[in-house]
Amino acid sequence: MTTAYEAVTAALEWLTRQFTITFITGNRYKLFLTGLRNTLIIAFGAVIIGTFIGAVVAMIRVYSAQSGKLRALDKLCGAYLAVFRGTPIVVQLLIMYYIVFSFIDNGISIAVLAFGINSGAYVAEIVRAGILAVDIGQTEAGRSLGLSSGKTMRLIVLPQAIKNILPALGNELIALLKDTSVAGYVTVKDLAQAGENVRTLTAEPYFSLLFVAAVYFLLVMGITKILRIAERRLAKSDRH
Amino acid sequence: MIVIEGLVKKFGANTVLGGVTERVRPGEKVAVIGPSGSGKSTLLRCLNLLERPDEGRILFDGEEITDPKCDADSVRRRMGMVFQHFNLFGNMTVLKNITLAPVKLKIMTPGEAEEAARALLSRIGLTDKADAYPAMLSGGQKQRVAIVRALAMNPRVMLFDEPTSALDPEMVGEVLDVIREVAAAGMTMVIVTHEMGFAREVASRVMFIDGGRVKETGPPKEIFDAPRDPRLQEFLSKVI
Repeated sequence: MTTAYEAVTAALEWLTRQFTITFITGNRYKLFLTGLRNTLIIAFGAVIIGTFIGAVVAMIRVYSAQSGKLRALDKLCGAYLAVFRGTPIVVQLLIMYYIVFSFIDNGISIAVLAFGINSGAYVAEIVRAGILAVDIGQTEAGRSLGLSSGKTMRLIVLPQAIKNILPALGNELIALLKDTSVAGYVTVKDLAQAGENVRTLTAEPYFSLLFVAAVYFLLVMGITKILRIAERRLAKSDRH
Repeated sequence: MIVIEGLVKKFGANTVLGGVTERVRPGEKVAVIGPSGSGKSTLLRCLNLLERPDEGRILFDGEEITDPKCDADSVRRRMGMVFQHFNLFGNMTVLKNITLAPVKLKIMTPGEAEEAARALLSRIGLTDKADAYPAMLSGGQKQRVAIVRALAMNPRVMLFDEPTSALDPEMVGEVLDVIREVAAAGMTMVIVTHEMGFAREVASRVMFIDGGRVKETGPPKEIFDAPRDPRLQEFLSKVI
């Protein structure tokens, strides 16, 4: 018959062993660190590319709809949205790696590009909705003062649009961060892949996978917090 | 100063302006009156090209602004516009609203623009609101700021599109006072308005528009005391 004391000792031993083989043995913590670094590089790189593409595409589509100009470019943007929202990210990633950039063997760069281009399609629709939600009177007032359509968009409409869409952009950012966990498909050693790697090495699923889940969770919590601060700052013009 | 020749504007199958030929002389204060949907606002919006006329020409200081090659932005810099719904830039302070266009269009340095803006704000008694955001102002205060925002560009003409229609009754007076002051300073003005008393008092000429055509125009005394057009007689009997 085992006593409570023995049970606790056994549990502690098990935990210590699990911890040791997951993080210490063979300096496996370094695998997690490299994974985290790669995940952050891909996510941030993709956010920058995605935001840029999204903003440009959204402005082209809004401008085209309002002025009737740039029709061909508008069609091109529509096709881009259809293709990149219409196919799974994993498939896009594989196509980028094995077909489009088959001559380059740099999984991280290709992942940054693939996730960025994919995210841009979603960001474009978010930004477009945000721009359309800004009262047309703001644009008319800007134009009536002699500001060009570009200046009016950049100085007046876009800042107000961004304020409106911040929660939706936050959603996209969080989704993007978690989506990068499939980067392992193209040989990238990202955070999820590190967990999987250590799981295989240790033949133990608990610590490796739960730890990786916890790190993703903390990253998302961090993003949520930053977004909330940004929202509060941008809301200063709403105070009555 | 402004010459309008055979102006036609259609929205789809709906002809809003059916051939308007008119003239605004320097220093004139033209009040445009007429029933809702008669085309008054559209006429005003054609003057600074917020609406593109379908037929006819508009000359401003001898320049044909309806010419597709004409730079609309440079025309608008010389024409101030005040909107029914104020359209102050919601993401900027009152001061920034006023200084934005002069600074961004490199007409004034930031220092000059701020000095000019503060002088304008003191003229309308809103010096203490320089750092407030539009959301913190009353409707009357917003419209007064919108007027000085347009004045900050030192326009040759001021266009007012129903400047008091969106205001609570007790705020109409303060806005009309500002417009009155602008008129007294010699500004050429075109005002679309439903304030008949104000039109009679401030306008040097009243223009009655009905069904997209100018039905009668003349000094306020003639228009209000001895209207000849039957539609004008009917309109006045309803509104006065």
